[in-house]
Parts: sequence; C-alpha cells; structure tokens
Amino acid sequence: MADKESLLKELSRCVLEMEDEEVIPVAQEYADNGFDAAEGIMQGLVPGMNQAADLYEQEEYFIPELMVCSAAMYNGLDVLKPLIPKENTASKGKAVIGVVEGDTHDIGKNLVKVMMEAAGYEMIDLGKDVPVEEFVEKVRAEQADFVCMSTLMTTSMNNMQRVIESLKEQGLREQVKIMVGGGPISQNFADKIGADGYSVTAVEAVKLADRLSGV
Amino acid sequence: MMDQMTPAQRAAAIANGQDADRLPCNPNVANGTARIYGCKISEFNTNPKALAQAQIAAYRRFGYDSLRIFTDLFPWAEAMGAKVNFPEDNTADLDKPAITDVSMIDRLEPADPYKDGRLPIQVEAMKYLVDEVGGEIGCSVGVVGPFTNAFFLIGVENTMRLILKDPESIHKLCKVSLETSKAYAAAAIDAGLTPAISEPMSSCTVVSPRVFRKYSLPYLKELVDFIKSKGKGTVIHVCGQTNKIWEDLADMGIAGLSIDNVASISECKKMVGHKTKIMGNVDPGGVMYTGTPLEVRLKTLECIRDGYDNPKGFMVMSGCSLPVETPLENIQAMMDTVREVGYPVELSKVEELMEDCKKKMQ
Repeated sequence: MADKESLLKELSRCVLEMEDEEVIPVAQEYADNGFDAAEGIMQGLVPGMNQAADLYEQEEYFIPELMVCSAAMYNGLDVLKPLIPKENTASKGKAVIGVVEGDTHDIGKNLVKVMMEAAGYEMIDLGKDVPVEEFVEKVRAEQADFVCMSTLMTTSMNNMQRVIESLKEQGLREQVKIMVGGGPISQNFADKIGADGYSVTAVEAVKLADRLSGV
Repeated sequence: MMDQMTPAQRAAAIANGQDADRLPCNPNVANGTARIYGCKISEFNTNPKALAQAQIAAYRRFGYDSLRIFTDLFPWAEAMGAKVNFPEDNTADLDKPAITDVSMIDRLEPADPYKDGRLPIQVEAMKYLVDEVGGEIGCSVGVVGPFTNAFFLIGVENTMRLILKDPESIHKLCKVSLETSKAYAAAAIDAGLTPAISEPMSSCTVVSPRVFRKYSLPYLKELVDFIKSKGKGTVIHVCGQTNKIWEDLADMGIAGLSIDNVASISECKKMVGHKTKIMGNVDPGGVMYTGTPLEVRLKTLECIRDGYDNPKGFMVMSGCSLPVETPLENIQAMMDTVREVGYPVELSKVEELMEDCKKKMQ
C-alpha cells in the first residue's frame, strides 16, 4: 500500500520525533513490503538520527530527546538489521566502545555508540565496568580501528590510561585510534594519558572519529 | 600567608563594604575531607561525629570560607526507598531507584529527616558542626532540588523518557520530592544551618531550558521561597552549562549562584551579576584534580579577574565538588593565591601574577 519513499520518510520522522513505539510497525511494514532493509536503515533511520544530532548541536534537542531518538532508532534497527545479509554491511571502521572499569554510568557511552553507528561505524559495545584486559582482547580479536572509552567517575579515569599502557605492551597501540570522553575528562587529561582525541559531546565524537581516520 | 579574619568576619565586612583581608574562597572539598580527618568515607554514612569533625578538620587545615554537610546526591531518594551503593572508602552511588514504574508513584512518601535512611545521621552532624564552629564560619547543608531527586526515584533513563512522554508523572515525582526537600531544609534551619541547593539535572548540559522551566523551576522556586520564609538565604549550584537559565535562577532572589567550569564568569556577571553573588569556577577535574599547583594558581587568578567586581559579590570556588583524591597541594595553591591577591582586589596585580604564572609554565 505505502510506497517505499514515504515509508523511508516515515522511518526518519519516527526517529527524529521520538516515536520510539510507532517506529516498530512502520519498520515492519517496510520489511513486509520486501523493501531493501539496508536502505531502510541508511536512508530511513539514520538520517532521522543525524537530524536529531543537528538539533542537539543547535541546542533544540538535549539529552532526553537524544535518548528517546536513539531508542527509536534501535527499535527500528531490531526489525531491519536481521534482514540484512552479513557481507552487505559497509563500514567506515570498527570501534570497540565501553565504560572503563569501576564505573557503571553509560548514558554518554550509549549516545556515542548510536551517533557513531548512525555515521557508519561498526560499534562493538563492551558495556559498562569493562576490565582493562577486555578492551585489549577485543581490539586484538576484532582488529578494531578505534577504542572509545568513557567514564563519569574521577576514580575510574586512570583505568583509561591502563588500557592505553596495556595496548602498548601488547603491540596493539599503533593499529588503533583512542578516543576518550566523560564528565571529568578534559583535553588536558586526554593529552596526558596519550589518547588520540577527546570530545565533549556524542555528536562531536563522530567528527573526531572522522578526523582521526581521515574520512 | 595567614588570614587576619574568620570567615564570618570576612563575609560581614565585605557585605558591609568594609575592609577585608581577602576574597572569600571555597575549594569545595566534599568527601576528600575524610582523607584529611583520617577516616573512611563510609563512616560518613553512620557516624555523625566523624561527618562533622572531618568538615572541621579540613576547614582548620585550609582556612576556607564555607562548610557543608553533603555526602552525595542520594540520601533523600534513599530515604524514600532507593537503594544506594556504599563503597568502603568512596562516594556513594545510586544502585536502584525507589520505584521502577509510574504505576508505583502514588506509593512514594516524603522522607522524614529525623527517621528515614541516613538523614538522621546528617541532622545529627549538623548539630556538631554548628556547636563547634557555628560562630566563626557559615555552616551550610546540601540538599538536591526536587527535579534532580525525581530522577533517582524512578531511575535516570526512565525519567528522561517520562519528561517527553508523561509530564503528569514527572510533576508527581517532583511534588513528592519537594516535600522531602522542604522537610530536610526545615531540619537544617532548625539546627541553625543554611540549606544550599544542588540541581545538577537542571543543567542545560542535560535538559532544555524549556524542560527546566516546566518541571524544575516551579518546585525549585517553592523550595527557595520556603527557605526564605524561614529567614535564610540560599545558594544554588547547577553543574555543567547553565547560561540559558541564569536569569530564571537569579530572579528567584537567591543569595548566590555557583557555576561550573564550562560556564563563563564574565558572561554570568554581565547577565545576572546585579542580582546575585557569583561563585566559581576552577575546573574540579581538569585543573584541581589532574593539574599542577601552578595551573591551579593561573585558573584561580583568571576567576578572580573575571569575577572580583561582580556587583553583588564574588566567591572563588571550584566549579563543582572536588574529586576525593584531589592533591592537597592544589587546594592549598587555590587558597594561597586568593590570600596573595588580597582585598580589595587590584586588577593590575592579578594580571601581573597571571603573567608570572604563564612565564613559569613555558
């Protein structure tokens, strides 16, 4: 009944306008029509999330809005992603992301993850309270291009440095770009621990990743 | 350099336009006081005497200008049913909110400061504090605002969603939180202390000014009015960027506005400096915790340069509570810098000292 164009627009609108429930039947209808799932993501959900990011930068949207947009995007992804054959997923790079050990605050990390996904990065999410070794093992196993670490706690900040040291010891430091962020983190701190970059917001994290990888 | 006045004498002199020895300064040491006093931070949860004595020990060591009973953001939500993690020697953190679903909101009851959770410990500590140093330094009691407390009652992520989807529930959560805040503020005032409000979730870094005005401001204003009706002024601290809500905050008629390091003192001065005292804003993480004493000195001087001539007064402060392991030499550097600048502040001297710092840093 509905044509592909208007369903793609509707997917974008659902993400942008925080319709995290309505997005599910729309994605389902899109899929039921046999339309290309990858296109549904890249030309439906993702532009919606990118517009939300623009509104965040213009200070129209804030954290609650971004969180519900991101919930809408993930609800749409849950419907469409299983329909994409694995080898069809192009990516700008592979990033391991997590909240470092000792901290369980993951709202910021989740926003970085969704923004980077929307921008075309493949995200491997280690979750929160992630031990140093786990970051390192994942970088090795996945041949990751980025390590993204976050913390809200000053008590956990030094675990970022421990991850970087460990990557060096294991000879993996040169293959990854390291990005850090979170409440107490600053450019000053990022420089001190030898990270490649720091960003204040999730939207800026994407620009940072693009810059670091020369996209 | 030694202080010539007690904090209370200094505050009174400056308020009356008389001579003083220096600007008031509050590095905002928070739970780091346990390190100075020599106890575990978890003792603050059970031992009112330790909580009070640690604040006093840190004050005696550095001679700063404000004391506050304030352990973490969660005692009020905890007293209403939330579960809190208590690390042995670190700041408490929210474990589980009081409720998980809006259908449970009507079960929530305002906390009784004399009975529920850790609140009675804190009320007890207030008394020790005022007994020992009440005459010489302003003693305050931290309390989170109703909007922030609402987040801890039903969970942070849940609240973010409700803000956009279920306004009525947010109002209910704020209302019951307000009752808790008021009861606690009344207990503090009865003990002879002054409530100081922290409203981190109202930050423009978190929610829009529109959301702040709709859900936070009405309840915050009621709390401020309540405190004022009991004859006390109150200062408000909001973390992160706050420039879009300064007017709202200052228009409540508060005694001071404490701003974080990402906000600008000179911008704040221009906008609301004729209405309220400004307090801030050396970066607690990037400078106080991870910086050198020289970096602390430079930032402290910058704050003084930007804020000293604020029409309604200025207090040098950290942008937020200091991390527990902030080097003591950095706290000392902040105090020393303020002492060296003296009072009244001469801009040329401040600029000279800044040049000195920059030379040394090269």
